[in-house]
Amino acid sequence: MTAKPIRLTFIVILLAFLVTMPLWASRYAVNVGLLVCLYVTLASMWNLLAGYSGMVSLGQQMFIGLGGYTLAVSSMYFGVPVYLSVLFGGFISVFLAVLISVSVFRMKGVYFAIGTWVIAEALGICFSNWGYVKYGMGMFIQPAYKLSMSGVYYAGLILCVSSVALVFLLLRSNLGLALMAIRDDDQASETLGVNIFRCKFICFLLSAFITGLAAGVLYLNAIFIQPFEAFGISWTVNLLFIVIIGGIGTVEGPILGAIIFVLLQQFLSEYVGYNLIIFGGITIGVIFFAPRGLVGTLQMKTGWELFPVRRQ
Amino acid sequence: MPEILKVNNLSKSFGKVRAVHDLSFKVDQGEILGIIGPNGAGKTTLFNLISGEIKPDAGEVIFNGKDVAITQTFKKCRMGIARTYQIPRPFLNMTILENLLVGSIYGAGKSYKESKKQCVRILEKTGLSAKSGALVGTLPLLDRKRLELAKALATNPVLLLVDEVAGGLTEGEVEEFLRIIHGVRKEGVTVLWVEHIVMAMTKGPDRLLVMNFGRRLFVGRPDEAFNSPDVQKIYLGDED
Ligand SMILES: Nc1ncnc2c1ncn2[C@@H]1O[C@H](COP(=O)(O)OP(=O)(O)OP(=O)(O)O)[C@@H](O)[C@H]1O
Ligand SMILES: [Mg+2]
Repeated sequence: MTAKPIRLTFIVILLAFLVTMPLWASRYAVNVGLLVCLYVTLASMWNLLAGYSGMVSLGQQMFIGLGGYTLAVSSMYFGVPVYLSVLFGGFISVFLAVLISVSVFRMKGVYFAIGTWVIAEALGICFSNWGYVKYGMGMFIQPAYKLSMSGVYYAGLILCVSSVALVFLLLRSNLGLALMAIRDDDQASETLGVNIFRCKFICFLLSAFITGLAAGVLYLNAIFIQPFEAFGISWTVNLLFIVIIGGIGTVEGPILGAIIFVLLQQFLSEYVGYNLIIFGGITIGVIFFAPRGLVGTLQMKTGWELFPVRRQ
Repeated sequence: MPEILKVNNLSKSFGKVRAVHDLSFKVDQGEILGIIGPNGAGKTTLFNLISGEIKPDAGEVIFNGKDVAITQTFKKCRMGIARTYQIPRPFLNMTILENLLVGSIYGAGKSYKESKKQCVRILEKTGLSAKSGALVGTLPLLDRKRLELAKALATNPVLLLVDEVAGGLTEGEVEEFLRIIHGVRKEGVTVLWVEHIVMAMTKGPDRLLVMNFGRRLFVGRPDEAFNSPDVQKIYLGDED
């Protein structure tokens, strides 16, 4: 265990660095910072499901697409202020999560993964056949032009910090205790009074809400949205990469994973065809040499934790 | 003494195996009912049916006057039915204290603070105090058996189902569990206790239920049970 003052100092320095970034960094660097923030958010939410609640979702893109499209429709068609539209995206995602929970919660393991994926694909097909959102051509998100880069960046930063804080606090709460127990032995946890459905449901909704919000901010930056890209599996594949590299079931893992991912993506953007091969190669390497991910393996060897969640 | 549990014509089959077959019995509040029977007699299946992990094909499980045969497991736990597993099922990546907190917070519905106090008391009672911060993965069998009982106690049970907690232990260790279970009963908890060890079953329970092929073979005082020709017959040639 790392001593508390050291951990706090580290967190404060990191936060100070991130908060002041728009003041001293280049526009390009701020944009990279924004991407890191958003991927930390998305990956933390996928990790909350897969790493802590035993729900390996392959359908997070359904909330990403929905968050993006809600932003586009409500800001373009209804003139709703963009940040309010982003918020709507979160709520619509929760709404969808509630709707599908009845069916996907009956599925376990691989079935849950495939079930969520199929729903996301179906949504993509619906949107590409829907005239209201301009079919497969996609929509512009024009009002986003008027936003300042640092405004969008701070929105991303707030999401990033709150999602990490949320996961951390949630794990320290009684719900976190139940999640750990469910992960170790779900049946035994049930005989001790844990309502598994309720625990998973809460996590699923939280994850949907924040993923929807993050998607909104992501599309503020993208300016253009198309169904097959917005509802595409590659979103979740990226999150999988991030979380596996960083360390599944750790709070810090998605942070490190997202930094590596975004930097690699920038670095490899010139070699379009190769980046998937390289990401795949790195993932296999990490699984082979550090099966718990970089952070997970480090924690096992050194006991170092930035966000300790154990009860004394 | 009022009845706390009444099992009526309970049946459960797995394919052609009638694990529990038209079984009926009653338990009074504050009683220790021992359950014995050869391997495969259906004792664990009976516990699974009472705790809710398996739903019966037919019959009733009346707990506190209500039929809870198809009530969900976590709800039954909150009503006061707790169990231990024959093969301990601790939460391996959690500390001993955390293991107990789960039952105390969710099963007994206490606040975190109260739970912690209660768990410390239970750890003392079960002889685990010194190891409360240890990860379960590192514990020897005896401590895992203690933990199994401690976890169940943390839920504040009204009815405690104990499945072979003393199996594989030395005589002194068995005596320790006898003391703990008698202590628990003194607090008003009703106990159903499955065990193969004869010493535990003669000293522990007030009455014995003997099962064979999922059926009730005998119910009565332990000495009567062990002297009954029917019971002796099924144990002849059987290991213990
Ligand atoms: N989940 C299951 N699926 C199929 N068969 C089962 C299942 N659980 C129990 N059985 C069968 O039901 C019968 C009763 O098993 P049970 O575990 O209840 O016996 P037991 O009295 O607890 O035995 P032991 O003393 O060995 O613990 C056995 O024949 C067993 O093989
Ligand atoms: Mg058994």
